[in-house]
Amino acid sequence: MTQSLFDRIGKAVLIGLACLSILLLVGPSLIVIAISFEPRGYIAFPPSGFSMHWYGEVFQNRQLMDAFLTSLRVAGLVMLVCLALGIPAAFAAIRGRFGGKSALNAFLLSPQMMPGMVIGIATLFFGAYFAWRQSDLMLVVSLSVFCLPFVVRIVMARLAALDPGLDEASANLGAGRAQTFFRITLPQLAPSAIAAAAFTFIEAFDNVTVALFTSDVRARPLPVELYYLVQFESTPMIAAISALQIGFSLIVLVILARTIGLDRIGR
Amino acid sequence: MSDLEIDRLSKRYGKLQVLTDCNLMAEGGSVVTLLGPSGCGKTTLLRSIAGFVEPDAGRVMVGGRDISMLPPNRREVAYVFQNYALFPHLTVAQNVAYGLTVRRRPRAEIARRVDEALGLVALSDFGGRYPKQMSGGQQQRVAIARALVLEPKVLLLDEPFNALDAQLRLTMQVELRKLIDRIGITSIFVTHDQAEAMILSDKVAVMHGGQIEQLAPPLQIYDRPSTSFVADFIGRANIMPVQVRAGRTDTPQPVPTPRPDGPAVMIVRPENFEVVPGNVAGWPGRIGFATALGATIEYEVDCGMPEALRVSMARAPGSGPLAQGTDVTLRLRSTDGAIVLGRGAAHV
Ligand SMILES: Nc1ncnc2c1ncn2[C@@H]1O[C@H](COP(=O)(O)OP(=O)(O)O)[C@@H](O)[C@H]1O
Ligand SMILES: [Mg+2]
Repeated sequence: MTQSLFDRIGKAVLIGLACLSILLLVGPSLIVIAISFEPRGYIAFPPSGFSMHWYGEVFQNRQLMDAFLTSLRVAGLVMLVCLALGIPAAFAAIRGRFGGKSALNAFLLSPQMMPGMVIGIATLFFGAYFAWRQSDLMLVVSLSVFCLPFVVRIVMARLAALDPGLDEASANLGAGRAQTFFRITLPQLAPSAIAAAAFTFIEAFDNVTVALFTSDVRARPLPVELYYLVQFESTPMIAAISALQIGFSLIVLVILARTIGLDRIGR
Repeated sequence: MSDLEIDRLSKRYGKLQVLTDCNLMAEGGSVVTLLGPSGCGKTTLLRSIAGFVEPDAGRVMVGGRDISMLPPNRREVAYVFQNYALFPHLTVAQNVAYGLTVRRRPRAEIARRVDEALGLVALSDFGGRYPKQMSGGQQQRVAIARALVLEPKVLLLDEPFNALDAQLRLTMQVELRKLIDRIGITSIFVTHDQAEAMILSDKVAVMHGGQIEQLAPPLQIYDRPSTSFVADFIGRANIMPVQVRAGRTDTPQPVPTPRPDGPAVMIVRPENFEVVPGNVAGWPGRIGFATALGATIEYEVDCGMPEALRVSMARAPGSGPLAQGTDVTLRLRSTDGAIVLGRGAAHV
């Protein structure tokens, strides 16, 4: 009896949380999307009509499109850098046998404890010391520092769950180290690597806190561009951009779900 | 068929001496079991043969060739893991093909040999499945097929039947022994189950505290244990302190022995004792506990020693055990069946 009462309370709480998250997460998104179709020149909800006018404006805005391309490029680079550094780092952290391993772990994961702003400012000051100015490169570096712990964490979790006996089995069957890595370890790591890649890409794509300090003034990434834009613009174009971003994230998510399955993301 | 020889192998982890001077010889095509309690070093010895463990001293020879210096992937020694270690992202056929694939054999050859190997373990129709979709017994057969497809010189199996239920275990034990006989491969089994060792092996190596205490055919291990540990671990044993004088023990029924005069221990299997009524030459005592097990009657007889002596007698149809408290005499059925060992061999 008590069990079923608990069950019912649990279920009620769960449904309540689901409703709340729909209300708080999905609700605003829907409102933004609705506003983006407003034909007139100011923000109104509910919209007075249906028009794709502001989407057209977005695509015709050179500055925005440049910012979008900058963000794509930067996010892509950050993703590659983080994978290239993060996967080997996760390997060292789990499989390695050397002194100071736990210190290395703490060091690798520490940026996660730091607000993005701090990383941004720190990189900026560090750069200033060497007369290195804000640039795409500095943006990529600072965002990589920011995102690396996520990759390391996700891949580490998966690696720790892998049976080291599989490597021995592979060696026993005649495979060398490289063959074992590419045929046995990597395929099992793939889902988590893809998840980490997607996560890094999305994070790097829409990060403001770090990018605000380290991005090139003449080639701002999209989120920073938007940040400045909202101070002067109050047309539904902002809503249209947001709607496009929501669409973009959804597409990435769907691709992920199709390739590796939603339940396996982050495992 | 290659002989496997282990020569004075030792291994320590930090302060823990896990293996001490282990010697072992397995003739080509024979099955040797490493038998011993948990933690005695069986797995470490097996892993040393496969090259997963680097011993501190000693050699491993296969077919007269020293393989101690070779990395695991060049030893041609197949290892079947306790948890099978099948590759979860590969199908059964791909698992079995793995060793051939990494050796870049032609595709047609791989297909043919995988088919053969799966046929050998009666899993021909399961090539397309993933390990997860197979039962424990089937997974084990996949692991064996994956090992045998490479035609290795030696087959190593670490407690291969542990994860199986009792019924399946017996079937698999018999099947595996038949398979090994059919292909004639030198095999080393690890087990802590003495019945399993008896069923499977040509020779048993009884391990204790990182040492091989005895290497001999199963019946010889049972009849002629070389230490009291072996006697106690394989079957049951009464272990009694005795004195040797002029080539015989000072027991009520003297047992001849080539040992020098002095303290020794005598080992008597429960079935080598019989309980007789009255006062004859033998160990006088009193029945402390009796159970009838159908085919046998088991007694514990208090003979004034620190531990009661155990007796196992065939039960005549319709008869029952003697009552508790009955005064009896224990007699040896065969004085040759009693084993006399030096005190040095008397650690348990
Ligand atoms: N890699 C290792 N590091 C430290 N101690 C180990 C290691 N492997 C095994 N041991 C120790 O060696 C002893 C023998 O282990 P093992 O060979 O696994 O025994 P068994 O297989 O007979 O149960 C145990 O005490 C175990 O704790
Ligand atoms: Mg073991």
